[in-house]
Amino acid sequence: MTKPLYDYSGDFDPSFDYGKISREGLVGLLAANANYIRKLDGHWYLSAMNRCGDDVAYDCDIDVWKRLMKFELKIASEMMNIRGDGVSSIAKYFQVSPWFWTFDYRLELAGSDRLVVTFVKCPTLLALEKEGLGREGRICRELEQDLFETIAHHFNPRIAVVPVQVPPRKEVADFCCKWEFRIEGSK
Amino acid sequence: MTKSLYDYSGDFDSSFDHGRLSKEGLVELLHTYSDYIRRLDGHWYLSLMNRCGNDTAFACDSEVWERLVLHELKIARDLLNIKGDDAVAVAKVFQASPWFWMYKCDIDLKSRDHLVITYNSCPTLFALEKEGAGREQKICVDLEMKIFMKMAHFYNPEMKVTALKLPPRSGPDDICCRWEFKVDRKK
Repeated sequence: MTKPLYDYSGDFDPSFDYGKISREGLVGLLAANANYIRKLDGHWYLSAMNRCGDDVAYDCDIDVWKRLMKFELKIASEMMNIRGDGVSSIAKYFQVSPWFWTFDYRLELAGSDRLVVTFVKCPTLLALEKEGLGREGRICRELEQDLFETIAHHFNPRIAVVPVQVPPRKEVADFCCKWEFRIEGSK
Repeated sequence: MTKSLYDYSGDFDSSFDHGRLSKEGLVELLHTYSDYIRRLDGHWYLSLMNRCGNDTAFACDSEVWERLVLHELKIARDLLNIKGDDAVAVAKVFQASPWFWMYKCDIDLKSRDHLVITYNSCPTLFALEKEGAGREQKICVDLEMKIFMKMAHFYNPEMKVTALKLPPRSGPDDICCRWEFKVDRKK
């Protein structure tokens, strides 16, 4: 049983809005909406794939995320004031992205020019592995590479994105994938 | 220029979480997530429509939202404690929905069992009218009815949903749509 964040069991309140909810409740609702975003994207992909095939669904996914990433990066830059051309901007972006509510992840900043992000638990990969069609080969390698490059280059076109270890997982690993963001020219 | 909600321009903070934001910042971010959901849904629809036609995109949209509306209703029930078997519960769900704040709606709760909701402003309808392809017939009439029926029947399978006014509009000053939710307990 989930614990309610706000008790709206009484009378109808014509003036109800999110401002009536406590800070803790609002954080919980943000997490719920982040999960909503992930589910919405997943249902669209599966529905398109079932009707038109995986290639069409994958092309749509690329199309959609090319546009949405711009919006998400705008939120990070303008609403959270995340700017600067170092890899720490990417680390901060990961922390504020709605997607990162749904992952269990580790961020390791090594100086100002190297970031390693480890996705310990990823519901998307777990679902793809359970499905067993091998779609993680394309989604976790090609699409993620493109998305991470878009994120990196938003802050600094000289940041290289290197997949350190990505699916398919050959054996049960203690993490899902690992990526490195590195400013080119740095050692 | 978008309003800044939090100043994360300084050093990377490994312990950052959204609980650092002010209450006003969290409410604003929730609104931004709502916009994110609307954009994500819209981009998926258009991307698939451009590849496979409107009938396929509409079929996927219906499938996606028949599932997602249940998720949204569970959030309202479990996280906000919105329960009951009457039109009051539906009125509260409208208020709590991530979609709601994007519309200008009048909620007229005439009695415990009788709700009339009027959409005075709807970004989806405005976009469809601008596009001029007549897609509002299916989206605002067929799909909306399906979604509203799901909402109503989640709380009470006897609740009736009636479209009192639907697009197309007579002009820019006309309302977008008006719906009635009613439970007849005299049977």
